[in-house]
Amino acid sequence: MKANKYLLLWSSAATLVVLALAAFDENVTQEWRVLQREYRSRLEPPAAGEFAMQLRQVVVPSLGVVDRCPSCHVGMAPGEKGLPGDPVFSAHPDVGHDPANMGCVACHSGQGRATEKADAHGDVAFWPEPMIEPAYAYAGCGTCHTHLGVPNLEAFRRGIERLERYDCLACHRVDGRGGTLRPGAQGGFEGPDLSHVGVTGFRTDWYDTHLEQCGKVAEPAWCTAFGPIPEPDRAAIEAYLASCVGAPGLIEAKALFHSSGCRGCHAIDGVGGDDGPDLTRFGQKDPALLDFSGVPGEHTLPNWISAHFENPQRVVPGSQMPALGLSASDVERLTYYLMSLRGAGVPGRFWPQDRVRAEWLGEREFATDGATLYEAFCSACHGPGGEGMRYPGMAAFPAIGNPDFLAVASDRFIRVTIEKGRPGRRMPAWGELSGGLRPEEIDAVLAHLRKLGGVEGPSDHGPRRWVAGSAARGRRLYERYCAGCHGREGEGKEGPALANPRFQASATDTYLVETVQRGRRGTSMEGFAQASPVRPALDEADIESIITFVRTLESR
Amino acid sequence: MSGRSEAPAAVSAVRRLGRNVLATPGRLWASFSRAGRPATDRSRSKFVFGNVFLHLHPARVHRWSLRWTTTWGLGIAALSAFLITLITGVLLMFYYKPYPSAAYNTIKDIHFVVPTGRFIRNIHRWAANVMVVTVLLHMARTFFTAAYRKPREFNWVVGMGLLALTLGLSFTGYLLPWDQLAYWAITIGANIAQSPRELTDALGITAYFDPGGFQKLILLGSTDVGEEALIRFYLFHVMLLPLGLVALLAVHFWRIRKDGGLVRPAGADERLGSVDPETYPVFTEAPDKTYHLAAVVKGRTPWVGRGPENTLPAMPHLFYAELAVLMLVVFLCVGLALLVDAPLKELANPDLPENPAKAPWYFLGLQELVSHSAFMGGIGIPAVVLVGLGLIPYLDRETHGTGEWFGGPGGLRLVALSAAVGLGSVLGIEAFAIRFGWLRTWWPDIPQLVITFVNPGTFLTVVYGVFSVWAVRRYDSTRAGALALFTCFLCGFIVLTIIGAHFRGPNWEFYWSPSHWPGH
Repeated sequence: MKANKYLLLWSSAATLVVLALAAFDENVTQEWRVLQREYRSRLEPPAAGEFAMQLRQVVVPSLGVVDRCPSCHVGMAPGEKGLPGDPVFSAHPDVGHDPANMGCVACHSGQGRATEKADAHGDVAFWPEPMIEPAYAYAGCGTCHTHLGVPNLEAFRRGIERLERYDCLACHRVDGRGGTLRPGAQGGFEGPDLSHVGVTGFRTDWYDTHLEQCGKVAEPAWCTAFGPIPEPDRAAIEAYLASCVGAPGLIEAKALFHSSGCRGCHAIDGVGGDDGPDLTRFGQKDPALLDFSGVPGEHTLPNWISAHFENPQRVVPGSQMPALGLSASDVERLTYYLMSLRGAGVPGRFWPQDRVRAEWLGEREFATDGATLYEAFCSACHGPGGEGMRYPGMAAFPAIGNPDFLAVASDRFIRVTIEKGRPGRRMPAWGELSGGLRPEEIDAVLAHLRKLGGVEGPSDHGPRRWVAGSAARGRRLYERYCAGCHGREGEGKEGPALANPRFQASATDTYLVETVQRGRRGTSMEGFAQASPVRPALDEADIESIITFVRTLESR
Repeated sequence: MSGRSEAPAAVSAVRRLGRNVLATPGRLWASFSRAGRPATDRSRSKFVFGNVFLHLHPARVHRWSLRWTTTWGLGIAALSAFLITLITGVLLMFYYKPYPSAAYNTIKDIHFVVPTGRFIRNIHRWAANVMVVTVLLHMARTFFTAAYRKPREFNWVVGMGLLALTLGLSFTGYLLPWDQLAYWAITIGANIAQSPRELTDALGITAYFDPGGFQKLILLGSTDVGEEALIRFYLFHVMLLPLGLVALLAVHFWRIRKDGGLVRPAGADERLGSVDPETYPVFTEAPDKTYHLAAVVKGRTPWVGRGPENTLPAMPHLFYAELAVLMLVVFLCVGLALLVDAPLKELANPDLPENPAKAPWYFLGLQELVSHSAFMGGIGIPAVVLVGLGLIPYLDRETHGTGEWFGGPGGLRLVALSAAVGLGSVLGIEAFAIRFGWLRTWWPDIPQLVITFVNPGTFLTVVYGVFSVWAVRRYDSTRAGALALFTCFLCGFIVLTIIGAHFRGPNWEFYWSPSHWPGH
């Protein structure tokens, strides 16, 4: 009995010790208690006395938000002033959204319910959405603002450039820059902050009122800083200002994305090609589910994305994505935009206007002029200037801005090609794809192409098929001169697939004959009407025989 | 008017009332026990005898039962773990909401903001695991000391029911956090329940007779793990299974008493030596009693003139032992709870299967067998094992070695040999299957029915069976066969569980360590 008594005594005593440790852990050493003690100690006496040590949370039932971040970031709790400049305790900067109404995680990601740093910041196993790094802070906007309007990149950059050239920043602030012209240290002249002017809107008569003011006011700043601005530059400035929504960097990143042809393969929110993965929620990918074996540095989503841009095949073996040869800053910008693709299931009544207009009214979030559409959907493969692209390990993409091509290709041929694509090759059928282009957009792209080449198309009248050469002779010639690039059966290798039924249907004999005769300057396609050092010139009968043979490929 | 004339009497009644009020605390305390203050051995025995909870104990307990080596306190440990889960479980119920959209968040809240919530959930989880382990060990103890023999056969069967309920409780609790771990473990568990389909599919009769699908449907209330499964598991976990367990526990304890207390070997009294001189000679103090219940007591007659000298009053001797085990288990659970958090992975995502998805650890042996053949691993072999276990006390009618560790023909030598054979064959067959594959690897077109009946699991079962028959003939004893078979299956269970837990990775491939899994 004695042994049992001692066993009881010691096990009970040990249990008590464990319970005491647990109580200590629960009530003293928790991170948020330590931080709140520090915060209280740094408050001035009356505030320190009123400060209550307690868990603080933002609860927004309609958004499903229970965010306990203010338990440590006490300065961001409703009613608290915070300690200015402190990395943990400062109040939230004014971003147009009050954290008390929106919570924290909607923008910053992470684990709102957690009360410990590692868990809350999502730096733990089994939490799929770590916090967005400060460098990509505005990527969080993408949770709700899935369809932020974005101008053409060139127009955007021209707008910034004009804004600076006409010295608007002398009086106005944009994204923290400018507005510094102050005679004397304090209380100088300052125009309204324009960082959110794309959301709040601006007066359409701003230029006239500025001119008027300039005449009336004796303030020297008006006279030195403001002067006449020509109409095209005013338009550039206005286009830029309309995109100012208080997310510096993000709009430019998005504009870059839409000038790099990414939507040619990737759909976002149902718009874009289907050759590559849908990117709608790419910024919410769980890093734990990605393969980081080809990624240097930390295992974070931005690192993965950057490494993938630099060398897709090293990160995802067998990837069909070409290495685009982007500059480091462009990689950084595109990574930023991809991080903003979050598209969480936010209830409809929280949707911003631009999202409603895009999803319910079918408006495009990007500019729909021919240049922007071409850059967003076509330029990755066909080149920014229509010069065609060559990527290692892939067949060359046709140079559709080539004047030789535009001279022989009718509008109808190009439009049908865009609409129906090339089944079996990488060119999608943009008129039939669910995320494709609308008829008026295809027209705009076509017009842009004509502008690129500076060549009007031929009229498309006359018989579509008229060649009547010898197919057997054509075959011999084809195998000698054409099969190397177009394949023995016209299946396409380096050059386009001639057997493709859509191609055969839309290309007229005239188009084919003239293409063979003229070739495409600047590409591998020579003009066969002239002799070259390695072969004689082909006469019309030869070429017609070849085309006759090419037509027989259709049925194979 | 009349009231005034009766005033003196009223005063005296009020006074009596006052005295009674004053005396109430003392009387309440005294009435608490039917036999007065438990101050002496005799009154303590009466106290135990007259208390509704304590009278599950005998008033006096044999000294053999109090030896640590008799039971190692495993039964009480299992009960203690159950009580801990009961208390912590009720506390968790205050916050837990059994609905898919809320369940995971309530667990997060319990973890992060409910005062002591994390600690209590950890205790609950650890106590549940301790309970499974101690129940299994308790069963092994009962087997190896041959305690299941007559008249305790039925209590062995009740104990098997308790084992099933324990596993059921643990398994149903596994789903409740609604995280990836839970979701896919239950999916695997439900697929194990569906495993008879392998046989019905092979026979081509699933369309007409589908017990596997029916079992899964009963378990999940749907074809997939979803809200129906969650509310069902919750109901089982917090109500039906605990009630069933408590009922069976009552039978289990009651039968211990009625079947003559804990088993002890025939020569226990001699081996224990003389009694402590201070022990109270209960049967000689008041020899004026008659024993009216003698007619229903087993045996021909109460022993007259010979008291139960080798027994001690349950209070305090047995109580100290029991409380010591209880507090030891409490210490184990709270200690582990302080050090290791209960797991909680990502929110359940039906579109993103865990790979590997693993069942709770105590089913990983089965999952390993299921990977060889769903039917045999999920139903066939477990059924053979369960029926075999249940039959043990009815087939082994011998008496040699009752109450002795590894008692019976062959003894410890046979157990050691069986362990060697059991470990050797399970390791051998698993190593072979992992290294060289199995029939499907060599003949891809082989009918599934062949694999159902010829696979590493059935092969192992046959090896164990043959070895056990050899033991029966070698020692001319059923008990020897049982010792061999039980030891073999115990070894098989342990090895298969470890393989399933540690050495199986994505797609149930073999890996030496989880750190070798691809993609990590």
